[in-house]
Amino acid sequence: MPIPKKKMIEMYTTMMKIRMFETKVSELFAANKIPGVVHLYIGEEAVATGVCATLRDTDYITSTHRGHGHLLAKGGDVKLMLAEVFGKKTGYCKGKGGSMHIADIDLGILGANGIVGGGPPLAAGAALAAQYKGTDGVAVCFFGDGASNQGTTHEAMNLAACWKLPVVFVNENNMYGLSSCALNTMCVADVADRAAAFGIPGVVVDGNDVIAVYEAAVEAVKRARKGQGPTLLECKTYRHRGHTEGDPGTAYRSKEEIEEWKKKDPIPRFEKRLLQGKVLTKQTMESILTTIANELAAGEQFAEESPYPETSDLTTDVYVD
Amino acid sequence: MALVGIIANPASGKDIRRLTAYGSVFDNQEKVRIVRRVLLGLSAVGVDRILYMPDSYNIFHQAIDPLEISIQSSPTPFPIEGNQDDTIKAARFMEEQKADCIITLGGDGTNRVVVKGNSTVPILPISTGTNNVFPFMAEATLAGLAAGLVARGLVPMESSIFTSTKLEVIIDDKVMDLALVDAAVYDDIFTGSRAVWEIDKVSQIFLNRAEPDSIGLSSIGGFIQPISAASPRGLYVELGKNGFLINAPIAPGLIQPVPIRDHFIMETGIEIRVRRLPCVLALDGEREVVIQEGQNAAVRLSLEGPKVIDIKAAMAQAVKKGVFKAKKI
Amino acid sequence: MPTMNFAEAIRDALRIEMERDPNVYLIGEDVGTFGNVFGVTKGLIDQFGEKRVRDTPITESAIIGAAVGSAACGLRPVAEIMYIDFIGVALDQLYNQAAKMRYMFGGKITIPMVLRSACGAGRGSAAQHSQSLEAWFMHVPGLRVVMPSTPADAKGLLITAIRDDNPVVFLEHKLLYNTKGEVPEGEYTIPFGQADIKREGKDVTVVATARMVHYALNAAEKLAADGIDVEIVDPRTLSPLDEDTILDSVKKTHKLVIVHEEVKFAGSGAEIAAMVAEKAFDYLDGPILRVAAPFCPVPFAPSLETEFIPSEEKIIEGVKTVVQG
Repeated sequence: MPIPKKKMIEMYTTMMKIRMFETKVSELFAANKIPGVVHLYIGEEAVATGVCATLRDTDYITSTHRGHGHLLAKGGDVKLMLAEVFGKKTGYCKGKGGSMHIADIDLGILGANGIVGGGPPLAAGAALAAQYKGTDGVAVCFFGDGASNQGTTHEAMNLAACWKLPVVFVNENNMYGLSSCALNTMCVADVADRAAAFGIPGVVVDGNDVIAVYEAAVEAVKRARKGQGPTLLECKTYRHRGHTEGDPGTAYRSKEEIEEWKKKDPIPRFEKRLLQGKVLTKQTMESILTTIANELAAGEQFAEESPYPETSDLTTDVYVD
Repeated sequence: MALVGIIANPASGKDIRRLTAYGSVFDNQEKVRIVRRVLLGLSAVGVDRILYMPDSYNIFHQAIDPLEISIQSSPTPFPIEGNQDDTIKAARFMEEQKADCIITLGGDGTNRVVVKGNSTVPILPISTGTNNVFPFMAEATLAGLAAGLVARGLVPMESSIFTSTKLEVIIDDKVMDLALVDAAVYDDIFTGSRAVWEIDKVSQIFLNRAEPDSIGLSSIGGFIQPISAASPRGLYVELGKNGFLINAPIAPGLIQPVPIRDHFIMETGIEIRVRRLPCVLALDGEREVVIQEGQNAAVRLSLEGPKVIDIKAAMAQAVKKGVFKAKKI
Repeated sequence: MPTMNFAEAIRDALRIEMERDPNVYLIGEDVGTFGNVFGVTKGLIDQFGEKRVRDTPITESAIIGAAVGSAACGLRPVAEIMYIDFIGVALDQLYNQAAKMRYMFGGKITIPMVLRSACGAGRGSAAQHSQSLEAWFMHVPGLRVVMPSTPADAKGLLITAIRDDNPVVFLEHKLLYNTKGEVPEGEYTIPFGQADIKREGKDVTVVATARMVHYALNAAEKLAADGIDVEIVDPRTLSPLDEDTILDSVKKTHKLVIVHEEVKFAGSGAEIAAMVAEKAFDYLDGPILRVAAPFCPVPFAPSLETEFIPSEEKIIEGVKTVVQG
């Protein structure tokens, strides 16, 4: 078997955890239990899952405003995440960051990011730290098609290329930066084409095929660990939801297009292959889903019952004293 | 009125083989420039109608836009799905419209899909892919000229075109797929990133051509017992211990020792069974077909492969007939 | 005590910290072989090598971002933006990332980095190489803003900055680089938020920063001849701001003049004036006066640039206005 069975089950579990987490968040948001905005990752699960399945706890990631999937795939705790999304004191960031600013430095998660294009320079920095300390650590930078037009992204890729930093730039091309279609916002067909400008390899994979993502990430991470420098890995994918919850996402995308992409949903595709390949049975799948559902229910209860931060917490954590 | 089809695969030359091997990168601007030169070549020999496959990057439009040539062009009438089906449908439509020839831009994979859609119209394949055994590393201007000569009937068909062989994939007694160069049994249950680079996962290789100057799995056969594209024979190779080792360029930049257990000539029509189940069949260098346990799979050689325009022969014929000779000045 | 110039004092601080802590490294444009455009980092690459003195492309966002990211992962970068005017193209990495990460992440991350940069007018460098932008940084919670005026302060404050676990913006007025002063040998630190009284006096408080401290000192000597005894307070760090020292001085002199090279409108002086008005209004004998640059870009022509920069004469005039009511 090329990919160990355990790894495939782990990836299935992660994909389902993301899907079920996001579905839960969507319901809770609709029920007015979550303040602010949330950007859901439904439809793109294969990217975070396939990439993070190749990483160690000591590797770093930088994430985006659509970050829940990345955090869960890198090992983020469901309870702490839900509490943070609720804005509760018990959350990852004591309720100070919310959905767009969850980080867990112990897991190498350098934070979701509210600024499109904010993450790539940070990922270059994390990779620099790994190179500087002489570890074989790797930093993965998740960024979207929108961020691929930001100068910060290009600067980070160029610096990483010049210094052969161990970064994998994972482009999640879901075709839309809010309402703007990538066909109108860039004059190359593939973000990966831009790799040539930095003298690094750029490849395109089907971002809705977790195995394709995983295989490509294995190679890119291997290159990075060996000191061969960065790779631009473009994953073609699609978000099933709107830009944020509350945006149906239909003002700028046709119903046909959305339906077409839902047919390419990464989860049923993977499920079918796992069943056909006898990696999993229906029963084991059910038990995985039950475990996740229980974890989510416990997380929801924890988040609901947790207190909001005190007003006295308002100005703490600005500085290290 | 000559009608030429153009199929430029926007996705060729970008897959993981730039990481697993050392494949070239073909950005789409380069494909635009290639199509532009093709059009100039076609126009120079009087081709006036083009049928092209549209793609989301608009390769064809970008190519023709700055040109001042009088060529009528229309797209094949299907919405872009962004996958192989686009190419299959476009090729089929071109065949239905009785195109005189089809120019393709891609690698072995692209051409395999073109042939799935069209089996009668001659093709002129220009290499812009990764594994390029079937398509030519040709200058696009000459490809345009040669294709135009054939399309307009300015050169005799029989001496400008050859018929290639192909491999047929038979699953449960039905022909389900084809390959233009090679088919390999790969130990996997996923098509995944499609690349084939771990030779120890390959157990059987079927080749309808095996040239020593080819890249990819067909080079293995080429190093054992060369067979040309037009030859009515194929080669079967079984990998494993208790044989001999050859060093073969199994992918761009990837030269690896390959253990050969057995090999023999494939005669046309004879089915050779796929022995490892489940597995994935890699066709022309890409994992394509998943074969489940309990299925019956086999590969056989067919002589009914695509008709291919031979640029060198077509050009030579044209010179012989004085096609390029200008009137007196 | 040895005498050295401002640039040498900064280099001394960098060397001491790099020798002490292998995680301290320099990153910026032309900081390596070239030794920085003002020669500040000259020779450090010979001692510490390319790994620790890192020449970058012209890529301010990536410089700051790489510093922030590596600081989050355990290093202590000293990043350099050649001229503070260049910060604009990279501001996001500083004020949205570096400054806010600790708060956004609930105090669970530290960004121990220093951003050094040259500021100030006086070299005919015109509008995009001469600004004083300290108020921008003061306005961002999460940043420390340091603005030394003497070689000794520069050294002690930079060592503190490198050891501080917060992102620090360290502003070096480019016309101070060649100014000399006594600098203690070896390592020492100057705490942030501790103003220095550069001249004691009883009649009027002048709060001045960077190069203006020297202008104010010269002005004070001339004013002394007229019988006006000026106290000069150098905040040294604008964030945190040593309010107590300023307030104590105002409570003693009852008069306040603020001098800075930034434009007056919404400059750092506005914050200091407002703070004193809020906390020591009853001690003031008259209005607070600011001597600062007019609200225009830094001009090129020498005649205009000279007029732009607050002068000793303008400081004297301002002090006299306040003292004489």
